[in-house]
Amino acid sequence: MLVDASVKRARLLRESAGLSCEVGQRSSDVFGKVDAVINALPNYLHASATLEALDAGLHVLCEKPLALTASDARACCEAAEVKGLVLVVGMNRRFDDSQAILRMMLEDGTLGPLVDYDWEYGSPWEWETVSGFYLSRVQAGGGVLMDFGVHLLDSLLDWFGPVTDQSCQHDDWGSGIEANAALQLSHSGPFGPVMGRVKLSRTYSLKNRLRVRGVLACAELPVADRSVVIVHGTLARQAVSMTVRLADAGGHDSFSRQIDDFVESIRHRRQPKVDGRHAARVIELVERCYAHAGRLPEPWTEWQTVLPEAGV
Amino acid sequence: MNSLNHTILVTGATGFIGGRVCERLVQEGAKEVRALVHTFRHAPRIARLPICLCKGDLLDSDTLRKALGDARVVIHCGLGDAAGIVRGTRNLLEVAAAAGVERFVHMSTAAVYGYRPSPGCESEDAPLRRTGDPYCDNKARAEHVVSRFARRGLPTVILRPAIVYGPYSFWSTRLLNALQEGQAVLIDGGKGACNTTYVDNLVDAVFLAVRDDRAVGECFFVTDGERITWGDFVRAHMAMLDPEPIVPVVTGDEILAHYRAQPGSWTRSFREVRQLLFGVEFRKMLLQIPVCERLLTAAWARLQAMDPEKKDRLKARLRGGSVAAAPAQPNYRERHIPDLTTWLSETHSVFFRIDKARRLLGYSPRIPFAQGIKRVEQWLRFANYL
Repeated sequence: MLVDASVKRARLLRESAGLSCEVGQRSSDVFGKVDAVINALPNYLHASATLEALDAGLHVLCEKPLALTASDARACCEAAEVKGLVLVVGMNRRFDDSQAILRMMLEDGTLGPLVDYDWEYGSPWEWETVSGFYLSRVQAGGGVLMDFGVHLLDSLLDWFGPVTDQSCQHDDWGSGIEANAALQLSHSGPFGPVMGRVKLSRTYSLKNRLRVRGVLACAELPVADRSVVIVHGTLARQAVSMTVRLADAGGHDSFSRQIDDFVESIRHRRQPKVDGRHAARVIELVERCYAHAGRLPEPWTEWQTVLPEAGV
Repeated sequence: MNSLNHTILVTGATGFIGGRVCERLVQEGAKEVRALVHTFRHAPRIARLPICLCKGDLLDSDTLRKALGDARVVIHCGLGDAAGIVRGTRNLLEVAAAAGVERFVHMSTAAVYGYRPSPGCESEDAPLRRTGDPYCDNKARAEHVVSRFARRGLPTVILRPAIVYGPYSFWSTRLLNALQEGQAVLIDGGKGACNTTYVDNLVDAVFLAVRDDRAVGECFFVTDGERITWGDFVRAHMAMLDPEPIVPVVTGDEILAHYRAQPGSWTRSFREVRQLLFGVEFRKMLLQIPVCERLLTAAWARLQAMDPEKKDRLKARLRGGSVAAAPAQPNYRERHIPDLTTWLSETHSVFFRIDKARRLLGYSPRIPFAQGIKRVEQWLRFANYL
């Protein structure tokens, strides 16, 4: 079933997707008729709609971020746990082949002891919304860090463990919707202490790749091809690069894989790959970053005064 | 009037100039800034600012009325498509006049005199004439509409900047890309007048136009007031690169000779139609019509059964080429030939005068070219262009 505040748009979607399902205007229209919900509402409605669905006994795949605050995210997790329901959050990048390959390399020690990482992700924003909620602090919860940043932080926490120290700079001028952010993170996790740098942008084209440097080799994950890892290392004292891809890579994209994982988790009563707790720890980190953020220097703006720090 | 004590509507707020106007209004502590946003996807830069984003369209007066709210000042940097320049400006003027707006600053352009202004256009009193270019002519028509509303009592000011550069400007990003790709040239040695206007100098002029009552009903050229040539502009960007690129010189005669040697518009149109007819998309469309589908399938089967040599000859004839192999690509790098608009813009000798803006507005370009270029370089480095 498709539910949208605009039934007309829901019908349009049904036709364009070639579906033969019912459409409704309110979530209560469908609650008795379905087993699970995919919550793709604007950010500020994620937590409330997720709680409503969980209360109705439905499993939920919620679009990221799960909530605008860590406490709301934790409330969603607790509700799912109490009811024994599956709560999945759409941080689908973890289903990319490249991320799976990197994890294998880390576990295998291919890169040697880790030195650091550097992740740049950004390009001029092209995401159209009718309401513009993405550009409202109240409705989106933040800017680029709350948007792409959630994907990146989720993966980094998954690989390198909890963040023990962080610094954040962004270019919010007082609205809370930063377009650029730069983070320095220190982790303490299964592969020892690791430090890294993350740069995010909605206004500029960045390098769009993750580089994880180890003593033996450097792994590069290009954004343009999320099925490969390029390993830069040495062979017989010669600098070499090789592209690694999974031999039995599935053809599905990460969205489809996550939906499959959601369905399998419900069917077999098992833990999904990306659950609500993972989402909650990401939002906790985003909150910490915003709370202690400084201004990104923009010397061309003639801006000398210090603006009040942005909080979420 | 003091602009900061009023609510101000900025149109074109997601663009280069409008975006900087919004930033500067915030920096100067404006009471309330309302930004007209045509599409949210271009708004991340101004979404950083504590301003009100108002979705609207210059061609839809209802949305303009809502966006205007209680604004007493309008800074109109919006553009839209060629037709929208005039209609959109008229719509906004009507809404502003009806609401009793106290100052309407219209961002026009020195291009109202065409991309190649004639000598005599150095000062604002030179009459406007049709240039044949839709952008230039529509901007000129928009000025006429603004003047009409001014005569009816709306306090308007028209500003005519020239080559507005600064952080986020496509003049710099486009030039830098061209330099990096070996596509940049200096036309006639780069001696044409560039008439740079650093964006913050322009915003200074906007604020003066809002504040100073002597500006009302007037029109002003706004430049940096320096005799900067295209050669200066290009070389300033070359110096940002390491190694500094070598930029070839192309003469105006060579550019004209190149375009004279191009096929005429009939020949080009015929080629385009032929390409369209033999394109995959068109074939797909035809295949949806049952009769065409049957005919095309039969023709395809006959083509497949044909002698290979005959088939190649037929294919080549249909595509307008010959069977002979294409000549090998030259192994030297050809000089890029700029388009005719670029040639026109970069080879005139008119330096617009800013005496009137100095005299009536007290305008004095605060950021000299050398400093403006330094700021551009800082931004280009931040934005990963360098």
